[in-house]
Formats: sequence, structure tokens, C-alpha cells
Amino acid sequence: MADTAVDVHHGEHAHDDHHGPSGILKYIWSTDHKIIAMQYMFTGMFMAVIGGFMAYVFRMQLAFPGISVPGFGQVSPGEYNALVTNHGSIMIFWVAMPVLIAAFGNYLIPLMIGADDMVFPKINRLSYQVFLLSAIILLVSLFVEGGGFGGAWTSYPPLSASGEYNQTDLGSSLWLAAVAIEFVAFLLGGINFIVTLMNSRAPGMKAYDIPLVCWMIVIASILFMLSVGPLVAGAVMLFFDQTIGTGFYDPARGGDPILWQHLFWFFGHPEVYVVLLPAIGITVDVIATFARKKIFGYKMVLYTAVATGVLSFFVWAHHQFIAGIDPRMANVFTVTTLLISVPIAEMCFVIIATLYGGAIRLTTPMLWALAFMAEFLIGGVTGIFLGASGADIYFHDTYFVLAHFHYTFFPIAIIGTFCGFTYWFPKMFGRMMNDTLGKIHFWGTIIPFNFIFIPLFVLGMGGQHRRIYNYEHFPELAGADMYQLRQIATIALLVMLAFQLVFFYNWFVSLAKGEKAGKNPWKSNTLEWTTESPPPHGNWPKDELPNVYRGPYEYGHPDREEDYWPQNLPS
Amino acid sequence: MSEHSDHNGHGHGEGHGTGFYFKIYLTLLVLFLISVAGPEIGEATGIRAITLVTAFGIALWKARLVINEFMHLKAEKRIMKWLLTTSVILMALMVAGVSPDVLNHRGNNWENLAAQAAVERGLAEMAGEVHEEEGTEVVEAEPAGFTAAASYGTVCATCHGAAGDGSGVAGAALDPPPANFTDPVFWEGRDRDRIITVIRDGAAAVGGSALMAPWGALYDEEQLGLMADYVMSFNPNQ
Amino acid sequence: MSGRPIATDRSATGIPTHRLAIWWVLASEVVIFGGLLGAYLMHRLGHPEWAEAASHTQTWIGAVNTFVLLTSSFTAVLAHQAAEKGDGKKAAMLLVFTIGGALTFLMIKSFEWYTEISHGYTITANTFWSFYYTAAGLHALHVIAGAIIMGIVAVGAFKGRMLHRVEIIGIYWHFVDVVWIFLFPLLYIAK
Repeated sequence: MADTAVDVHHGEHAHDDHHGPSGILKYIWSTDHKIIAMQYMFTGMFMAVIGGFMAYVFRMQLAFPGISVPGFGQVSPGEYNALVTNHGSIMIFWVAMPVLIAAFGNYLIPLMIGADDMVFPKINRLSYQVFLLSAIILLVSLFVEGGGFGGAWTSYPPLSASGEYNQTDLGSSLWLAAVAIEFVAFLLGGINFIVTLMNSRAPGMKAYDIPLVCWMIVIASILFMLSVGPLVAGAVMLFFDQTIGTGFYDPARGGDPILWQHLFWFFGHPEVYVVLLPAIGITVDVIATFARKKIFGYKMVLYTAVATGVLSFFVWAHHQFIAGIDPRMANVFTVTTLLISVPIAEMCFVIIATLYGGAIRLTTPMLWALAFMAEFLIGGVTGIFLGASGADIYFHDTYFVLAHFHYTFFPIAIIGTFCGFTYWFPKMFGRMMNDTLGKIHFWGTIIPFNFIFIPLFVLGMGGQHRRIYNYEHFPELAGADMYQLRQIATIALLVMLAFQLVFFYNWFVSLAKGEKAGKNPWKSNTLEWTTESPPPHGNWPKDELPNVYRGPYEYGHPDREEDYWPQNLPS
Repeated sequence: MSEHSDHNGHGHGEGHGTGFYFKIYLTLLVLFLISVAGPEIGEATGIRAITLVTAFGIALWKARLVINEFMHLKAEKRIMKWLLTTSVILMALMVAGVSPDVLNHRGNNWENLAAQAAVERGLAEMAGEVHEEEGTEVVEAEPAGFTAAASYGTVCATCHGAAGDGSGVAGAALDPPPANFTDPVFWEGRDRDRIITVIRDGAAAVGGSALMAPWGALYDEEQLGLMADYVMSFNPNQ
Repeated sequence: MSGRPIATDRSATGIPTHRLAIWWVLASEVVIFGGLLGAYLMHRLGHPEWAEAASHTQTWIGAVNTFVLLTSSFTAVLAHQAAEKGDGKKAAMLLVFTIGGALTFLMIKSFEWYTEISHGYTITANTFWSFYYTAAGLHALHVIAGAIIMGIVAVGAFKGRMLHRVEIIGIYWHFVDVVWIFLFPLLYIAK
């Protein structure tokens, strides 16, 4: 027990049987939601570094074809396919989801609703372990004989169904297994989030007193849970096609390859909103705090999130306009796709209205939140072109699509994460982050980001097709002007990656030397700021779990001297 | 935790007695017998509707009984009923959205020829094998073994063309263009061993273009030899 | 020392936490089976020639299995009733009966598959058979998982501990039963 004394933050546990494992095991075998959140966070960041490295390698190949990429060597066509495929899979399944849903969900939900832990701590631990297993399988799949899977993250059959076509017999099966196992991990985690939010709120906390970020993570978990089922079944079928030679996706044997596309996108499109909603939730919380204003329309944000969730189930086939789907269905899906921009736009209006007249403080997290809005808008607006089935025929599978979804996913997965991370850093580690370094990192990420993807929009409209290894094989795509744009994008990427070092430097320096944060450095209302930073095991002393008396966004209330009004203060 | 007394007020008196559950169980068994007997009658009388109604209608009824009375969903809070209903409705809508493409084999501007052929082949087999003993003809649907021609068609023809003249669709964009096996000049100084090496290790292995990928992972030496023979058969001087 | 956090015992919805969780598990299961059966249904309607393959399924074996599962569902609900009255020993005994049902089901299933495979109707014989084995196999996996968990729950119930688990595993078991109720007509009856 001697070595655990370091880890017990405060004396409250003296009367409590210390039931966690000790020493290093405390960090890898813990059932504490905060430790599990950190496990997800660090695993996600580790995978993000790998995914970023992959982007660097194939961007170098695209801008300077045939070059020996420093740190990798020459890129063969098969390696190029494996790199783009696994970059996509990693960034969505092993970065965006674990960080935005699992890490922030695990960390914030119990703290924000005033509970001492998740309802099922052991299932929570299991969920991380299953997730870790899936990450390991994915990384192993890159190094097996034949190389990693190269059939794109959508994994369409017949290319993905047979080693004869994709040349990566083992790699593609391992990739598929990794994805399926990852789904299991998030089903386990998702049930935990949903049940915790539904049942374990602090006394007095009504449905409309829950901070929006918790709502968003839970709505996202529900979306995930209800959309992933058909793909789990589809993945089993594809796995059998790959390994034992069934013909589920082979029309000559009574199957249908289009079925996979439907099953995949029935999950794949809600998945966009699964990661988007938590990012919006983080943004909304940060903006309310730093605008020192009540959210303009709490219920509006909540209802539009639900509306987005419902609509997101009925837009999936806009990914398949070109696949020969029924034109009457294309009509329906065009309408629903354009409709879904309405609730999202409404959320943007709520955020703008919240900013209006606020006492805005431009801290690092606030900058990230504002950037999220600005950049995501570009992603959303370019989506309108793609949602219209007529225009999509021309844009399909060009870099326009690629730039569009990077303008949505980058704000979600990177900007949203940095926003939440810098905002809750004082709570997680007990010290403030350096604001100057934070701002240098912010501008060093945002400006290059636009320089990467705006040229790609232009290239996409110029007809540059995706999934091409070397444009020199296509004379009309190999002009000097096009290569110039590709090189701008690649150089911007290098600059952006270099600036990430500032973030890691800031992290370590702040961890060691940062100013002590205290309980509530941002003067925020929500419950997590009423406990120590970092919170002890059990979050609050056992008999001092908070009660709730009001909503989470009571900033600048006229009756109060302070401009904030914590949720747990009796009036 | 398992206190149920809070929602017992729905007409069955003090909780559910064993007798009540037994009654439900008996009802389920009766329904089950109908669902087995129905299709027999349907087949005997040739009225398909009887089969479908007894099979699926009864299944729905049975499921309703189990869900309401055994799982106690009837007595559960309304939100859980909504949840389960939603998930079932979602699946129905998914099927509705997918079926125009998967259920049909032809549509506006497209035709699924392979699926149509599979249906025709199957129906012809059905008509032809009425007197055959069950289960003998199904086995031969196993995938065929290796043939050099088929493998050429799968992995080579996309670039080199089915006729070996380098005119495959995917080859059009390649620089240097894919080899033309029907050109006698190509065969000067190229022997069987070299062809095998190139198929196995890629053209880069003999100093050629890296666009000719290695295929050694797919075939053993014997198969590589057969494929080389097949490629050499395009040589007009042979 | 109770390892359970306070959060687990709160109940803002009025539904006990464990029961709330099992409903969500079932919702996610509904979409998994829904996706698979939906895919099967569409293929089945699009391929009239599958009637030939479907006519080789053994309806009587499927019927016996339906009976076995219905009966095991009945003993599961009786176990729940006993647990509610606090009679852990009786609940454990009834759960053992239910496990017996699960094992009987699996034995009949293996016999059925054995005869089918020995007739050449393997999973790769035809896409009907692929769906047949995949759907029934996924269901059988749930039966196996249910039997194992019921064993653990029964041991606890016998010692009079955590009786609420009897209800939870019961709800899951009824769901497995309901899935079979639909699989039976889909795979066996509709020729």
C-alpha cells in the first residue's frame, strides 16, 4: 500500500477500503472513469500521430511522385493504397471516436452530472481493453504478408471480398476484424454512457439541467448503437466472403455488392453525426463559458441535435448516387440530405446569437471553438453541392469530396478535440496550459489547414480523381499548375504537422511548471468545476456529492454580483 | 433492485402467478402448433396465403406474447417501448430504402445481369432435377480450381488485354504502356524463366517498370509456370 | 467495501439501472439481427430459385427446437418469479432447467447441421445456405453466451446473492427466444 500513497490525492479515502489495484496497475487496470478516459485519450492521440504520419507519406508521394519519402522510403502502389485506407480508418475509428466520445464522454459525463463514476465501471474497463485489442490488430494488419488492406475505408466488395483482387488476403481480414471489434468496444461504452446519463444524475438535475455536451455525447452514442447493427451483420458476411468463400456480395452466386454499400452507409452517414455532435457540444459549452452568457436556445440546440440524429438515418444513399441506385430513391435522398443542413444551421445560429452581446474572452479554448464554427461552415456549405444528386454525378470521387469531408472531419476530430482538451486541461491535470504557446499552436494549425484543403477543392473541380497513386500517368492531370497546387497542400501539411510539436511541448511544460489551476479557473457553472483539480477517486467525498438547483448556463444573471452561478449553489 | 410491486396494477392481481405464466405458455404452444400445421395445410391445398399468414402472423403474435408477458415490456416505462419500437421501425425503413436496389435485378438504366443469370440458372436446375435425389447437384457449386486462362483473365487482362495485345482498360493510362505479347519484337531475348520471374516478382525485379506488380503471393511455382506458358502462347512466332 | 459506485444505485428514470441497460443491449441486438434478416429477406424475395434449397431444411427439427426454446423461456420467467419472492434456490434450479433447454437446443442444432453438411449443403454451397448458417449461427452464439451467463447467475442466485440478475438474464433469454420465433418461419417454413 505504500506506493499507492502517492496516488491518493486527498485524505477522504482514509475511512474507505482502498479497493483499486496499486502501483502501475492503477493506471492500466483501473475502473475509475477518469483513468479510462485518459487511456482512451492517449491511445487516440497515439493513433492520431500514426494517422498523421500516413498523411505525410502519401501527400509527399502525390506532390513529388517517386520521391524517396524521408522516414519511409519509396512508396509502392500497394503501400499507397494501404496508407490512404488506414489513414481514413484510423482517423475516424481510432481517433475521432475514442477521443470525442469515449475520452470526453468518460471524463465528463459522471463529473458533469454529479455522479461518482460510470454505472458499470467494469464494463467500462472492458470496453477500453476491447478497443485496445482492436487498435493492436489494426496495427498488426499493416505488417503482415501482402501488406495492409488497401480497399479504402469503405471497403467495397468485390475488391475487399477476395484476396485475388486486393492482394492483401490477411491484411483485409485483419482490418475487418479490427473494425468489428472496435464496434463492440463502443457498444459496451455507449450503453454505459446512455444509462449513466439517464439514471445517475445528481438529485435535482432535471433533463434540461444537463450540460449540452453530455446530451450530445449520449445522443451520439444512441445514433451509433442504432446504426451500427446492420454493418456488424454485414461485416460478418464480408468476413465469411473473405475467409471461407461464401458469395454474399457476389451477384453471380446470388449475392449483391450494392448491399454492402447500403449496409456500410446506413452506418457510415450517422457516424458523421456521431462524431459531430460531441464536438458541437464541446463548442457550445466553451462558447457559453467564454461569452459569459446563457446559451441563446438551450432547448433549440437539444431538439435540433435530436432532429439531426433522426434525419441522419435517412440520408445514407447520397454516398451512392453514382452506384446505380434507383433514381426515385436518389430524389428522396437528395431532399433528406438538403434537409439535414437545417438543424445544423440552426445550431450555428444559436451559437452566433449566444456570442452576440457577450463579454467575450479570447482564450485558447475559445479560439478553437470559434474556429470550429468557421471551418465547419465551409465543410457544411460545400456539402450542399454534393447532396444534390445531379451535381454529385460530376463531383463524385473527386478531390472536391475529399476536401469537403476533411473540412467537416478536421474541425470535428482535431479542432473539437483541441477545444475540449485545452478547456478541461486544468481539470484533468490540475495546472493551467500556457496561453501564448496555445495560441501559437492554434494559428499554426488553422492557417496551414486552410492551405491544405482549399487547393484540393480547386483540384477537385479541375477533375482530379481520388484514389490515384501517381498523376503522371494521366497527362490531363499532370500539368504544372496542378502540381503546384498539390505541392502547396503538401507543404502546408508539413507546416501544420511541425506546429503540433508546439502542442506537445506546451503540454509537458504546463504539466511540470504550469500555474496551479484551483477548482474553477474559468469561473464556470457546471458541476465538474466544484471538485478538486484533478478530481480524486470518486470525484467528490462520498457524503458531499453535489445537488443541483439550476441549469448549466446561468452566466451574467442580473440578480447576482458574480457573473456566474454554479449549478450546485442553493439559491 | 428487482422490486416489481411498483407496476403490478394491471389486472393480474398480486403479481403474476405461476398459473398465469402457465396459461401464456400453453397459448404459445397452441400458436406454435398452428404455425407448424398451417403451412402443411397451405401446401396440401396449394393456397400460399395460408402458409404466409400462419407462419408470419403467428410469429408476430407469439413474439408479442413473449415480449409483453415474459419480458414484462407491457409493465415497463413507456420510454423503453418507444426505444424498441424505434429500432424495429428503423430496420423496416432500412429495408425499404435498400430493397429497390437489392431486391430487384433491373431498374431505371441498370440491369444486374449476373443476378438475373443466377436466377435463371437456378430455376432451370429446379425444373430439371425434380426426379433427382436431393442434394447431389448442389455440391458442384464449389469454386473451380486453378486454370491459367482464368487467372490471366483475373489478374493480367485488365492491363494486358484479354488477347494479350496490351489493350486492357486499366492499361490505357499507364506509362510505359503494358507489354504487347502479340508483338514478335517483345519476345526477342525473353524466355520462359524471365516471364516467370516477372510474374512472380514484378518487372522491377528485372529492371522493368514498377507498374508491373508482383503476383507471387497468389500462385505457387507450378501455377506460375502454367501462366507463363499461357502468356507465351500469345507469341505469334510460336 | 462495496465495489459498486453510488451512480449504479441511482435511478432518475424509475427503471433500475441494470434493467435499463439490458433494454439498450436489446435495442442494439434488434438492429444487428434486423440488418441480417432484412438482407436475407430481400435476397430471398429476389431469388425465387432459393425455394429449392430452402425445401431441404428440416422443418421438424426446427419445430422441435422452437418447442425447446419456448419451454426454456417459460422456466426462465418462473425463475424470475421465484427470485422476486426472494427464493434464490428455486430460482437457481429453474435457471438450471433453462440452461438444460439451451443445451438441448444446441445438441439438436448440431445434429441438424451435421446431417445437412454431410448431404453437401455447406455454407458455401449456395447463398441461401450461407444466410442459413450465418443467421442460425449468430443466434446459436447468443444461445451459448446466454447459457454461460445463466450458469454464473444461477450460482449467485443459489447463494442468495444478486437476485436482480435473474430478471436481467431472463429478459435477454426471452429476446433470444423471440429471434428464434422469427428465424423459424423465415428459414424453415417459407418454402
